[in-house]
Amino acid sequence: MTAEKKPKTSGASLRYEAWLRFRRNRLAMAGLVMAVTVILGAIFASSLAPYDPFKQLIWTEGRAVRLAAPSAEHIMGTDLYGRDILSRVLFGARISLQIGIFATVVSLFIGVPLGALAGYRGGFTDDFISWIINVIFAFPFFLFVLAVVAVFQNPSMSVVYVAIGLVNWVAIARVVRAQFISLRDREFVEAARALGLPTWRIIFIHILPNALAPVIVQATLGMGSIIMIEAGLAFLGFGAQPPTPSWGLMISEGQKYLGLGKWWWAIFPGMAITYTVLAFNFLGDGLRDALDVRLKR
Amino acid sequence: MRKALRVCCLLLAGLLLILTVSAAMAEEPVYGGILRWREINDPPKLDPAIATDTVSSRNIYLMFDMLVDNDPDGKGIIPRLAESWEGSDGGKVWTFHLRKGVHFHKENLGQPTENGGREVKAADWKYSMERLVKVNSPRAYFIDMVKGYQDFVDGKTADWVGIKAVDDYTLRFELDYPFAPFLSVLAYNSFMVVPREDAEKWGKDFNFHPVGTGAFILERWDHDQKTVYKRNPDYWKRDAQGRQLPYLDGVEIFVIPDNTIAYEEFKKGNIDAFPDFPDEFYLEAKVRFGDLLQERPWLGTYYYGFNTSKPPFKDNKTLRQAMNYAVDRKRINDLVLEGRYYPGRGVLPPGMPGYNPDLKGYEYNPELAKKMMADAGYPDGIEVELNVNNNPRHKAVAEAIQAQLAELGIKLNVKVLDWGVHLDLCERAETEMFRMGWVVDYADPDNFLYVLLHSSNFGAKGNYAYYKNEKADELMAAARVETDFDKRVELYREAERIIVDDAPWIFLFHYTTSLLGQERVKNLRLPAFGDYTTPLEAVWIAK
Amino acid sequence: MFSYILRKILYAVPVVWGVVTVVFILMAIVPGDPARLMMGQRGDPATLARIRADLGLDLPLHQQYFRFVGDLVRGDLGTSYRNNEKVTSALVDRFGATLRLAFWAMVVAAVIGVAAGILSAVRQYSLFDYSAMFIAISGVSAPVFWVGLLLLLIFAYGFHLIPGVGYGDGDWRYLVLPVVTLGVRPAALIARLTRSCMLEVMSQDYIRTARAKGLAEKVVVLKHAFKNALIPVVTIIGTQVAELLSGAVLTETIFAWPGVGRLAVEALVARDFPMIRGTVIFMAVIFLVANLIVDLSYGIIDPRIRYD
Repeated sequence: MTAEKKPKTSGASLRYEAWLRFRRNRLAMAGLVMAVTVILGAIFASSLAPYDPFKQLIWTEGRAVRLAAPSAEHIMGTDLYGRDILSRVLFGARISLQIGIFATVVSLFIGVPLGALAGYRGGFTDDFISWIINVIFAFPFFLFVLAVVAVFQNPSMSVVYVAIGLVNWVAIARVVRAQFISLRDREFVEAARALGLPTWRIIFIHILPNALAPVIVQATLGMGSIIMIEAGLAFLGFGAQPPTPSWGLMISEGQKYLGLGKWWWAIFPGMAITYTVLAFNFLGDGLRDALDVRLKR
Repeated sequence: MRKALRVCCLLLAGLLLILTVSAAMAEEPVYGGILRWREINDPPKLDPAIATDTVSSRNIYLMFDMLVDNDPDGKGIIPRLAESWEGSDGGKVWTFHLRKGVHFHKENLGQPTENGGREVKAADWKYSMERLVKVNSPRAYFIDMVKGYQDFVDGKTADWVGIKAVDDYTLRFELDYPFAPFLSVLAYNSFMVVPREDAEKWGKDFNFHPVGTGAFILERWDHDQKTVYKRNPDYWKRDAQGRQLPYLDGVEIFVIPDNTIAYEEFKKGNIDAFPDFPDEFYLEAKVRFGDLLQERPWLGTYYYGFNTSKPPFKDNKTLRQAMNYAVDRKRINDLVLEGRYYPGRGVLPPGMPGYNPDLKGYEYNPELAKKMMADAGYPDGIEVELNVNNNPRHKAVAEAIQAQLAELGIKLNVKVLDWGVHLDLCERAETEMFRMGWVVDYADPDNFLYVLLHSSNFGAKGNYAYYKNEKADELMAAARVETDFDKRVELYREAERIIVDDAPWIFLFHYTTSLLGQERVKNLRLPAFGDYTTPLEAVWIAK
Repeated sequence: MFSYILRKILYAVPVVWGVVTVVFILMAIVPGDPARLMMGQRGDPATLARIRADLGLDLPLHQQYFRFVGDLVRGDLGTSYRNNEKVTSALVDRFGATLRLAFWAMVVAAVIGVAAGILSAVRQYSLFDYSAMFIAISGVSAPVFWVGLLLLLIFAYGFHLIPGVGYGDGDWRYLVLPVVTLGVRPAALIARLTRSCMLEVMSQDYIRTARAKGLAEKVVVLKHAFKNALIPVVTIIGTQVAELLSGAVLTETIFAWPGVGRLAVEALVARDFPMIRGTVIFMAVIFLVANLIVDLSYGIIDPRIRYD
């Protein structure tokens, strides 16, 4: 709605303006910095990690390294098998980001074309796609993901992100559809149509770039909830397979020992999740304010 | 005369002493109180005919009785609603003499029952056994050797001809062939007596209106919260002093899914009995509660089966043996399972009749394992998939074994699956390796060896490894019909030796069962058959 | 108004039908046989076949589907495979507990969220604003089962402020921690949304007019600004109610709460098809009803909205 008020400016300066707005937002900047640290941690996990995240030290060093409290050698302590928790948390960033990114990619691959088609075409196409979207929205989200995970016989990381993607795409599709509805009758689209360009070209080359901002915001905010869903799945014993250093799996294994005061196995991965989700939420919020988009939640 | 008097006096004094000492040692039971027992989920079934899980069984044992029972220390079969029995015709006919004065529950869920609390007669047993077939009990086939089973199942006969109520208090089973473990099978918790009137009134809903003869009566079932039982005042059993059992006013079985929370609730005193105590709190509880945490060997075996019907494990005994040598059972037990299990050497668990203490099994020997891997054709290791069902303990063991096998270049890819999917894949032999456990249904080696490893039991019937060895098959089949106990044991031992050598499994552990009770709860005794069979009729709560 | 509701309901029918069909298909392709699961670890194939026939699982899929939809139209959700319970009575039984939990979680979340949101907006960029928003976003960012467990260990077992877990026969003290655990997320969302809506409204001309007229700040904020910021807040409350009702699975597990979420997950693990279908359809209907109520409440908040 504010789009009309804005004077027509070139894309580059619009982006610059957005960046300025983003920089003024302290929480957004904090989110950006936090997200960058997570990404760096994931990329450089193998050089940052003090130990091999899979190495079970109990077989060589015995009970002393079993569920050992944080110390100089093991900053975040060790788990039941004497694995270094810090190393596992660092490698866990890879897993979480991997799931977050791939599930988002799956959602985008399904959500963007379907949302675009629905918004652009309207009529029966829109009714049909909207019906699918509404059906999936009416499902209890977590239960649906759980059921989709159960359908696959081969549990693995790819199953988790495909399952989440198969459910999560509707949020993207909704945003894209709304954008396309508001853009499809604008002059530049009419012009493209008048030139006789094929529909897919109009959709992807002409309209989509103008509809990207809310998609980016939705996708960023989605990252956080995807990471949380993975943790919830792991808590119930679905999803990542041992010995994958998934944060969710670590919490579900480690939470058994919380009652004994051996808090480090569950608390550090939990903090890692909170930190990462926080980063993406700050970032998403900041982007939303900076790009000035309104999302229907 | 005087001498006689002195002897008399001495005897009297001695008797008095014994009496006072024993009275001081065993406190006098008091009536009253509610015992709060923790379970991990809502019982799916309260009808003994259709229940197959331990949570349901826990509940069912409170309300129903079998003809015979397992001795709490696993030493044979003891009377329950049958006072005595005899086998005849070379083990083909079994006659049971029923206890008199056993009555069905007079009420249920606060309502009077249809049967009105009448006495149990032999005809009720015949009805109850036939009902198993009529409601498609998954356990009816345990006694498919009772004459006329198939005809009755197929509807060719109106009744199960092999079961006869000779008179009100005599029940007779006729078998197609002598089946040595028959008596033990009848101690299984599907073979319980139910009143026809109530069973017929409720039909399938008998599951929600379970009426039996047991020490406790169902009063309320709040799903996913608790089942509430009250005392059966007309229970047939009395204590040694002739006092009416049970002592408790009632039992409440609470559903608490999370172990951490359940343990905290126990420490707070919100629950009185915590069965199947979790590993993570074991050491702490041992220190804190001492003997209140009871633990004993359970008649069960924990193993990783090889699918012997498909490569790489088909026809490669050396590979299977190598993997048996590659697992350090003792250290996994010590470091991951808090030393609670027993490293396994063979199929039969200690305490099982026929258990062979001299069996050598597979000692951890990585060098030998490595050499045998090369002999088996895998000098550079092998990549294998291991299916495990979704349970924290199984995952914990799998992670440890995964790491140990990795040392030998064996890459174990663990797949954690839902129980349903896991079973399905195992049965259809669509696995490479799978975790499985087996806990006794009836205390006879038949229940382990024949069920799990005889080639007539491929798949769903128990032989998930699809193991077949003709010699072992013969031995196990022969032991089934042999009536001489010592001869049977010899046959089973021979079969087990062959099986262990063939290594269709990695023989891992033998289970223990455990139960933590509050100090004020007296007479809570964990039986060899597992925590869920703990009898509660003689339990009492100190004031 | 009436025709609007009718239209909405008619519109919901195909959505419900879609949900019904999708859940049927999912259950048809999910591996794991419910009849087999009823037999325990070991089963006799002949008995298995009889149980399958008894449950109607041996019929061709399309027949099973028509039978299921036919029963559904008559209002019969079937009987649980796992424990023979009527699905409808199981839902009624467990829904009370879930509703109670979700209702109070929502009340707490709405009160705290709206209050924090208004205060943050009024004192934009103050320390209160920053810390409230920081807490709000953190509240959305921590795994719910993890938060629940920590709360329990601290308040129930550390300080003994709460008697324990479970339904406690309705004792309100058992309700506190699950409500807090479940309420954190909606409270955070509501606070953020209230804040941003308030900020937008307060920059509008009529608020400036109201201030210029010399009305007390309290009146301006509460009567004029908040009233206009209410619509988006109501929307989010509506969607959150639906989310709470279906999303309480993990909270219910930790707190041993006898609700629908746990029922659904246990049914899924046991492949209890009738129960899964029942819970999912039920939750979907609840979701649609909640949305309808939200739509209708716009009219009450803002009489300019017409339903025609």
